[in-house]
Parts: sequence; structure tokens; C-alpha cells
Amino acid sequence: MFSPFSFLFATARPLLALAGLLSLGSCGSSSDPDPNPSVSNVFVVNEGAFQKSDADITGFSSSAGQVVNATLFTSANSRALGDVAQSMTVANGHGYIVVNNSNKVEVVSMPDVKSVATITGLSLPRYFAVSGTKGYVSETVAYSGPGRVSVIDLTTNTVTKTIPVGLQPERMLVADGKVYVVNSAANSISVINTQTDAVESTITVDNAPNSLVQDANGQIRVLCGGKTVYTPTYEVDYTLTQPGSLVSFAPSAPTMQTRLTFASNRLRPTDLQTNGDKTQLYFRAVANSGIGPIFRMGINNNSLPDLTAPFIKGAFYGLGIDPNDATIYGGTGTFSGSDKFIRYRSIGTSIDTFATGSGPNSFVFYQQ
Amino acid sequence: MCTINSCQRWLVVRVLLGVGCLLSSMLAQAQHVAPTDSSALQGAHLLPEAVVEAARLSHYAVGTRRTVFDSTDLALYPAGTLADVLAARTPLYLKNYGPGQLSSISLRGTSARHTAVLWHGFNINLPSLGEADFALLPTTGATQVAVQHGPAGATYGNGAIGGTVLLSSPVRWGVGLRGQVQADAGSFGLGAGSLENSFSNQKIALRTAAAYREAENNFPYPERVFGGTVTRRQTNAAFRQWSVAQDATFRLNLHDELTAAVWLTDANRQIQPAIGAANDRARERDQSRRLLAGYRHVARRHETGVQAAWFEDVLNYQSDALLSNSRVRTSQLQADHAIRFSPTLSVRVGAEAQHYAAQVDGYGRAITENRFSGYGLLRYDPHPTLHLSLNLRQALLPHRRPSLAPTAGAEWQFWQTPTQRWLLKGSASRSYRAPTLNERYWRPGGNPDLQPETSVGYEGGLRHEWQLAPTLTVQTELTAYRQLVQNWVQWLPDANLGYWTPRNLRLVRAQGLEANTQLTWRPGAYSLTTRAAYTFTQSRKVEGTAADPDPVNRQLPYVPLHSAAVSTDHAWRHWQFTSSLTFTGLRYLDASATRSLPSYLLLNAALSYRLRLNHTWDLTALAQGYNLTNQLYRSYAAQALPRRNGQLSLRLSWH
Repeated sequence: MFSPFSFLFATARPLLALAGLLSLGSCGSSSDPDPNPSVSNVFVVNEGAFQKSDADITGFSSSAGQVVNATLFTSANSRALGDVAQSMTVANGHGYIVVNNSNKVEVVSMPDVKSVATITGLSLPRYFAVSGTKGYVSETVAYSGPGRVSVIDLTTNTVTKTIPVGLQPERMLVADGKVYVVNSAANSISVINTQTDAVESTITVDNAPNSLVQDANGQIRVLCGGKTVYTPTYEVDYTLTQPGSLVSFAPSAPTMQTRLTFASNRLRPTDLQTNGDKTQLYFRAVANSGIGPIFRMGINNNSLPDLTAPFIKGAFYGLGIDPNDATIYGGTGTFSGSDKFIRYRSIGTSIDTFATGSGPNSFVFYQQ
Repeated sequence: MCTINSCQRWLVVRVLLGVGCLLSSMLAQAQHVAPTDSSALQGAHLLPEAVVEAARLSHYAVGTRRTVFDSTDLALYPAGTLADVLAARTPLYLKNYGPGQLSSISLRGTSARHTAVLWHGFNINLPSLGEADFALLPTTGATQVAVQHGPAGATYGNGAIGGTVLLSSPVRWGVGLRGQVQADAGSFGLGAGSLENSFSNQKIALRTAAAYREAENNFPYPERVFGGTVTRRQTNAAFRQWSVAQDATFRLNLHDELTAAVWLTDANRQIQPAIGAANDRARERDQSRRLLAGYRHVARRHETGVQAAWFEDVLNYQSDALLSNSRVRTSQLQADHAIRFSPTLSVRVGAEAQHYAAQVDGYGRAITENRFSGYGLLRYDPHPTLHLSLNLRQALLPHRRPSLAPTAGAEWQFWQTPTQRWLLKGSASRSYRAPTLNERYWRPGGNPDLQPETSVGYEGGLRHEWQLAPTLTVQTELTAYRQLVQNWVQWLPDANLGYWTPRNLRLVRAQGLEANTQLTWRPGAYSLTTRAAYTFTQSRKVEGTAADPDPVNRQLPYVPLHSAAVSTDHAWRHWQFTSSLTFTGLRYLDASATRSLPSYLLLNAALSYRLRLNHTWDLTALAQGYNLTNQLYRSYAAQALPRRNGQLSLRLSWH
């Protein structure tokens, strides 16, 4: 997908996955099921294939259990969304769709997904976080060097400042006047003070932190992917590959960390999310292609799930947890035109399946 | 372009014209052959000129459809590539990522991997990808291009499932010195130059051809953004490419012939980003070095040939995010022996060996692979109006033996009047495609356990040739075909492995209709050739394994259901005017057939004037216009293509 040629297609996914191109879960506010079935309350981010500019948003009504519009952005705006929709964040009635390989964030009104503005001047943007009237965009900038976080004035939708952070910054967590951003190609978290918009500290965690949440106990939980080591012949060297881990700390004492390491190094844990009351942790564990099964653990559990015994078996590229009823949404990642998302009850049994766009990587749950 | 029959007729004329140079006994034999029975004439092997033709594999491809472009057709595009010729002159769909960018062919509803591209009988598809980029094949590399539609694995070997594209440079003996030099300039920074020079007497034939072209491709295109539509200039789409070809044939005596050919191509391309996508400064360097040498001995009843070839294909890709280098060296050997039991019965047996040595970053290690195949071809004409062929090929792949590949064909001229000929034709074939090196060795994902794909296809048709007046002929051909491709390989994520891998997942059925007609009118100083062609192509996955999530019974992506082409060539004194109008139907973009690209009509035209400077030198001025109706269209998903554009050329030729 980096090139028209199929061999490059074959390698692009793993490479993107290695680069830390992982999916983000829900960012919307929790709610009761939407009373109007013709209005979408779940927004599926269809990433789209690299260099095909076929990213789009699927609008879904959870109460009606039906897709309202499978190409919502294109329909609402009579134009394409762009190339590689990496994530979507909703705040203050607006949706911020980060379009990675178009170097932009599309700002839309919710829930109709009509364009309000386009934020430009970004460099391989990944995720969007909101604190008050400011937005924060993590950006890879370059795979070989440090990334940055751009500060957005949400009234003008323009970049007001850029903050250098670590290698390949990914997902962010806003907590207590701080933005925590994981540096996925390093072993650290940069902490940005939202008053000064400067990095005030850097927290060392484990290798390849890729996602983080704050649980019901106030603990920040950071999922680290471990370190994948390759043989000279490009096969994973499992004798040297380090397994992933879950690092936890209180915001007030970031160096007082609890560290749980996975028993298996065969899969890389990623995409950490919580349910509505933040008592359960959900994540996926993936190999090269960025697809894999879904796992769950209680926040007070002192042991990690066994990666060989998933909560939901399957090949998922995207994961979302409905904050209202803990319905689990899993998206496939074939990128061939046959992608779908599957809903599971909170206990893990499947409910129904819907066709969606190319590469559904995350789900946004929205309540007006 | 001409149909097989007009080519055969042309051959008849050529052979008969050439006899002045031959011994009188040979002349007598040639004239005994009925001029209408061109196939039998091809068996008149004592004619050295016919010998070369007889050695061609197409002699054994009876009952199929061929579209042939000779040097006159190719001369319209001396600075162009085969992608330009095929797109403009046929209803074939080439998926094109932009001017000078990747152009991959789809014949009869199959993928680019299912078209074998042969240069002087050797497969030149990239061994790593198993396909050819037609934008990397300048027209000057060969003097004849034939598209063999449909499966013919027994005759043409690996990958001849959707069809075969045959590049060759048939020798014309005793022509003397001739050549041309041309310079071109066109829109969006296009600059090109080409030189071709050939010489032949009765002993030696030489041809040298060189071509260079470059373009900036900074053409404007519209993009819809927030607040309206903006016009952008295409970025990162420039290219430079050159090609040098040298062919040489020596007749040692009446029976022995040596051939040698070299073809070097080099393309340095920026990779045009999709509309709306960031410019990741991707670029690709493609270099191919192709060398071959052959020896052929022709006796009264026996004919023996040995050919060796060595290819080196480099494909280096780099962008801000990725670096991928590859180099594959292919050594090949072919040997064949033909026996003519009678003028109507000939048999050819042969064997081929290929050795691949690949240094591909994605494989993580050096790879070698050997492939072998042996074949037997039979041509039998039990009656002057009935031609039959039966071919068999058995390939041996590493740890795999594909099914025996037989092809049977028949042509029957069932009715003939002084002005009309009616022919029925048919063929059936089982063909195969060996897994590509990428499919087997890419890390991660390469699947060494892949089975070869196997296809079973058959076709039937009707051909009509009508001489309406001494100066007016109409040739019409109708073909219907159906083909099933088993073990179709698809790259998809494997839930157990956790990465993308190619697997034998599905059964694909391609069926369709092809209609083409050609009218030739030569009333005097003016001459007109008009061709019209239409294809209906339905290609669908009809079965899949449990691991294949793509739905069944949807038209495959990038296979237009309908396509058509109409072209006219007018000549009047020293003026020539050509036009081509092509229609490409809606194409789906995904396996579920939900998103699509709309159909489009493209109109191209060219006007030229030839000034005779003296009996040796001609000067020709040529103006060409592309996309004259200024269409905004797409060949590939989000890749921009230029609106109306043009090219001016000046050609100096000698003969």
C-alpha cells in the first residue's frame, strides 16, 4: 500500500503496525441509547487503505441496531474524507477526525458529521485530545526522529504552538490539567502542562507504550507493547523478543509504578480501553498485521490475562466499548472491501454483524 | 493493428514478394501453395523467410483470438510505451496510476499476474511480482506486439491464463538500410527522443533502437476541500526513462541461423500520490537488462532451436517511511525440435528451464528457485479449410507439479465465396500460474505451501471476411469465452498467523463476449481503416474457502463490465490522420462492489504530414492530442490524470 505493487502492500501493514499505528477506542461521552434510530450515535472510523483516499465514517444507531449511513462523511460533505483516517475524538459537540496521510484534522459538527473546518499544518497526525478550548494533536513528523504535539485553538481551528516530545507519540490522556502522551517508539510518556503547553516531565515506563487510560481508582494504566526483535532474515526472534506489560501509577506519584508483564511474547498488547464506569480494562493483542483477539481484565486484578486464552477470539483491527452498556464492538481489517464490525454483549457473546468501510479501526460513542 | 488473418495475408504477400531473392526451386514450391491457405504456406519451410515464421509458437495456437500491432502501428508511439498503445487502440483495460506510472493489464477479467508477457519467447514478467508494468516497456523494444487473448498455458507457459502479450521483432530480409530519428515535446514537461536504425541483406539483419523520455507531470487537477473546489498541481509525478534495444540475426547458411538480442530499460519515477494524500516523496527505480542468444537449424523436415537468456530486474522503492530494494536475476534455457511429417502435419517438442536468483529486501535472505517445463505441440490441417492444434505442457515447480496443461484448438472455414469467407473457431485450455517469488518468500507472509493456480477455459467464435468491392474489405470477429480459475491466490490477514499472507482462497469465473470489426477502404490516394471493438467481461468470485471473507458473485474490482474502442486511420497523399475513441465502463473498487469509478470516454487524435526530401529522406511532422474532450476521469481509485494535453513531434526517416 506504500506502492501499487502487491509485495509492498504485503509489507505495509506490518510496517505500519511496527510504527505503532494502532487504533483508538471511544472518546465520546457516555449516554443512554439514542432514542432516534435514524440518527447515528456510534461512529465507526474506517481507516481506508494507504494511498487510496477512501477513509470514511460509518454512522450507526445502536438502539435500532442498524447502519444509518456507511459513507457518512462523504454523503454529508460531497467530498472524500482523505487518506488514512487514524482516529476520531468528540468534544463540545464537534468531532475531530485525524486524517493521518492527509496531514490534517477534519472538524465536523455532531452528529451530522458536516464539515466545520479543516486543521492543516500537521505532519503525520495520529490522535486528538481536548482540554477546555484547546486541542492537542500527536504527530509522528518522521519515523526516524522525534515527534511532536501541536496545540490547537479550538475557536479558530488553527495550530498555535508545537511541543517537541519523544519518538512516535501516539495516544493521549487528559487528566488533572495535564496531557499524557505515550512515546511509542521509546519507553516514555511526555507530560504536558495545559497551562504552559510545555513538557513538564517525562515518565519512564516499559518498551513501546501505545495506549493509556485512567481507571475508576484514579490510576493511570499504560499498555506497553514490549520489544519485537527480528532475525537477520526478517523473522521474529522469539528468543529475544520481550513481552508486553501493563504499567500503572497514580498521577501524583508517577515513579511509584506497578508493573505486570505478559507471560507470552507471541502477541503484542495494544489499544487499551475501559468501560463506562472504568472498572474493566479491554485491549487487543496483535502480531504483525495489527489484528488480533480481544482481552478483558478487572482493574483490581493483580494478574494479566493469558494471551493464549482471549476473551473474544478473532482477528480484530479495531475495538470499542459502549460506555453505556459495555457492548463490545470489534472491527475487522482486511482492507479488501469486505470489512465489517461485530457487536458482542458485555459477557463476550456475539450479537450481530454489519458491513462497513475499509479497515474499521475505532468506534466513537456519542450522546448529544 | 490487424487480425491474425490479415497478418497471415500480409505474410503471404511478403513471402511472395521476397521470392525474387530466392532460388527458382523454392519459388516454384511457394507458388504451389494456394494463396488463400496461408496456414499451409507457413509450412513452406524451405523459404528462409517463412522458416522464421514457422518457428513461431503462434503456428500452434489455432482457434484463438489475436490482436497484432506491427511496426506501422507502433510507429505512432515512438516515444510511448506499450501501455499507451494498448490503451489507445484496444478496449483492453490497463489500470493506470498516472502518466508514466504503473500500468497493469487485465485480460479477460483476470489480474495482471494472469497475463504472460513474452519477449522473443521468454517470459519477462517480474519474477518477484509475477506481472509486468506496461509503462516500463517502450514501444521501441520490439517491432511487433501481439495480444493473444485467452488461456494458452500449453503454448506460452506459466501465467498464460487471461492471455499473453508477445513482443517480437520479426526479421525482414533484404530490406537494406532504414531508420528514423524523432524528437517530441508535449504538455507538462514531456520531452522525448528516439532513434531506430535497421539494416538487412540476405545474410544479416540488424536493428538498433533507443528511446528516452521524461515528463514533469505537473498537470492541474481539481480537489474538493472544505469550502469548495481548489485546483492543485500534481506533485511528485515526474519520470525519466530510457530504453536501448539491439537485435541481430545472422544466416550462417541456408539452414543455420544465429540470433542475439539485448534490451535494456531504465525508469526513474517519482510515485504519484493519491489525491488528498500527503506527498511522501516516494520514488521507484526500475531497471531491466535482458540478453538472449539463439541458434536455429532448419532442414527439410526437421527444425531445431536452442535459446538462452539472462535477465536482471531491479526494482528499488523508497519513500519517507519505507525502503525496499530488490534484484532478481533469471537465467533461462529453451530447446525445441520440430518435425514436419508433411506440409499439413507438424510436431514440435521442447523443454524450458528457469533459474531465479533473488536478492529482495523483503525476503530477508537470498533465494534461488528452479522451474522446468516440457511441451509437445501438434499442428494438423486435415483439409485446406480445417486447421487443428493440440498442445500439452507439463511444468515442474519446487515441490509442486501443476496439472498437465493441454490446449486444443480448431478453425474451420465452412463457407467461402469469391468475396466472402466464414470461419468457425474454438479452443479449450487448462493453464496454470506458478506462485510468484513474493507469494512464496516474502517475510512475513510468504507462503511456501501455495498451490499453483489452475484455470480451465474454453472459447468459440466466428470470423467473417468480406470483400465488398476490390477496394473495400470488412473483417468481423465474434468470440465468446468462459474460464474458471481455481486456487486463486489472495493476500489477506490470517487470524492464526497474525499477518497478511497469500492463500489459495477462491474460485473465480470469468466469461464474456468480444466483438471486433475492421473496415479497410483504399479507393485511390485516400485510404481508410476503421476498427471497432467491444468487450463484455463478467468476472466474479464464485466460491471461496472459509478463510475468505470477500463476498461471492460480485464483479471483481477494476474489471469493467463494458468497454469499447473505435479507431480510424485516414491517409491521403502525404497526410495521415488517426483518431481513437475508447469507452471504459464503471469499475468497482472493492471486493464487495460497493464503491466504483464512473465510466469514461476518451478521445485521442493525431495528424501528420510527411515531406519527401528526396528518394532516401523523409521529414514528418506529427501533432497528437490526448483526452481531447477534456474529461476528468480516473483509471485508478484516487489517482489524478491530466485533462486535454498534446504532443508535437518531428521525425526524420531514411530508407
